[in-house]
Amino acid sequence: MKPPFAKLLIANRGEIAVRVLRTCRDLGIKTVAVYSEVDRNSLHVRYADQAFALGGKTPAESYLRGDRIIEIALQCGAEAVHPGFGFLAENPGFAAAVATAGMAFVGPPPKAMAVMGDKIQSRQEMVAAGVPVIPGMTEPCPDPAAAAGFAEQIGYPVMLKASAGGGGKGIRVVRSAGKLEAAFRTASAEAEGAFGDGRMYVEKFLERPRHIEVQVLGDHRGRVIHLGERECSIQRRHQKLIEETPSPVIDAATRAAMGATAVAAAEAVGYYSAGTVEFLWSEGEYYFLEMNTRIQVEHAITEEVYGVDIVEWMIRIAAGQELSLDQAVQPRGHSVEVRINAEDPELGFLPAVGKLRNLRMPSGPGVRIDSALYRRMEVTPYYDSMLAKIIVHGSSRDQAIRRMQRALAELNVGGVKTSASIALEILGTEEFQSGVYDTGFLERWMAGGRPQREPYAREAAIIAALHRHHLARRRSIRRAGGGGLSPWVAQGRRTGWGGGGR
Amino acid sequence: MKYSIENRAGQSLEGDVVEVEGGRYQVRVDGETLEADFADVDRLGQCAVLLGDRSFGASVETEAGDETHLVVRIAGFSYSFRVFDERELAAGVLDSPGPGRAEVVRAAMPGIIVGVKVAAGERVEPGAPLVVLEAMKMQNEVGSVHGGVVAEVRVAVGQTVSAGAALVRLEPPTDG
Repeated sequence: MKPPFAKLLIANRGEIAVRVLRTCRDLGIKTVAVYSEVDRNSLHVRYADQAFALGGKTPAESYLRGDRIIEIALQCGAEAVHPGFGFLAENPGFAAAVATAGMAFVGPPPKAMAVMGDKIQSRQEMVAAGVPVIPGMTEPCPDPAAAAGFAEQIGYPVMLKASAGGGGKGIRVVRSAGKLEAAFRTASAEAEGAFGDGRMYVEKFLERPRHIEVQVLGDHRGRVIHLGERECSIQRRHQKLIEETPSPVIDAATRAAMGATAVAAAEAVGYYSAGTVEFLWSEGEYYFLEMNTRIQVEHAITEEVYGVDIVEWMIRIAAGQELSLDQAVQPRGHSVEVRINAEDPELGFLPAVGKLRNLRMPSGPGVRIDSALYRRMEVTPYYDSMLAKIIVHGSSRDQAIRRMQRALAELNVGGVKTSASIALEILGTEEFQSGVYDTGFLERWMAGGRPQREPYAREAAIIAALHRHHLARRRSIRRAGGGGLSPWVAQGRRTGWGGGGR
Repeated sequence: MKYSIENRAGQSLEGDVVEVEGGRYQVRVDGETLEADFADVDRLGQCAVLLGDRSFGASVETEAGDETHLVVRIAGFSYSFRVFDERELAAGVLDSPGPGRAEVVRAAMPGIIVGVKVAAGERVEPGAPLVVLEAMKMQNEVGSVHGGVVAEVRVAVGQTVSAGAALVRLEPPTDG
């Protein structure tokens, strides 16, 4: 079958760039990578058919240079541009510019992106479309006095949110009237600094909410379907760490109802391509939170249970193909994802940097790895700390959890601290095992002096002593044996025989 | 060779390692003697270890190139140790016995100091936040590994710091 495009440029890096490249390969599409100065050796560069330097180190100097990326795409004859997530993925200006340049943007229409990208405007549209939203302001609020008045009407606790917010910035929970003014001023200043927009809005704060989102897919003809929910409540400061599907609290009837709501939300803005409608779920009620107008980090768990390649559909839809899936698709089994982030959970999740020396990746039945990791990779402070995702699929929730525990036990990422160890601990908690958890669980559990499980403490100590002994011995042999090279290797180097191959 | 192996919490274990023949050892810990077989598989950290008949695919790395500072991972669990041999112990390499140890808390990456949570003279627990560093668009609490008494705060709010910059210097608590 003829590929949807002859050539596609991926305007991203890391794990998601590799993910998109792989589907392109599956479809027979030639691939083009772009890279910053520090990403020269990255997997996405090595996997692509062509690669072009963007220069620079910071995102602003590299992956955010939309004009330069479009120029490269035109030069090398790409017919389409996939933005991945982050960077330019939700920038309607970039999406429009790609189309203006005569290429296909692999994503939604810029107008839908713009509407959904604005918290206040999207909320107004959703109210008009009959999608349930959390009781709150429909207009932005410039000063604390107006916020206090509104908070009195809906009752405390309330949440203050930046109009242009994201990544947990400019968000405060206020539990009493006396604390509102100070919280408003700091959150507004934070939003002003981060986004150049200090407008805030006030909404009802839901107790123990769960973050549950629905995947949607739509085509140019206006056909939109949903691919069920993803449970994303294991998060810290609004950064998700573990996701699963199905959600332990969603039954088939609720899934159908939430799915229909998500489809209505997408239809209200004329959506096509893949998108995610995020809801807060609390005590059986659910409310629209926002729509992410891009491929989502955790899309793979949906792919596992529905047996669908979402990136493939994004590309086919961008090429004008009709969605041949219909709402009769059913999920099968259970899937869990753990994000492997370069951060130290023992030191408040401080982002970690360093050179990755030691690497052992899990595999085996039901385990999928979406990763940008390689041995001797340098983890730099310039980009997002997510390095890889482990995704498992099982016939039941129990089996999927056990598979994830097995996969995390197989994983070794040495030289850089990662979130893998904390994820393994979370999977073993009674809350996670029983499925009774909410978005506040991780922070409460971390703060509550979680029990230290150290099943191999004594063995590890003995291994540490053996290793130290071994290092000392190796060094003494090297000293005695002249530079540590075996006579064969030394001879080979002298005569110019290389090590051969890779 | 005798070793003292100290964990994050400051508890230590004494071990005596005797090589029987290439890669095979006798290890004595707490009066118990174990047959051990240790192989460094790839010189990058993957180790194949037998302790008696129990088999481990462990991963061992030195922290920041410091041979006395080892991180051991077994089945996803991570353990951090300081390992000193008998000569180092005799020479007094340890600044103090037990958990107390002088510590300089450093910035793991370039960023801006947006909060300082301690002052000189204050006693802090292991893991307690000392400084808030904004990097990668995120605010990060920087904590101490060992805890102790704050000897000196070297940064102020608003200051830009480079990776590796000293932020806070801690000294062991004096009351042991």
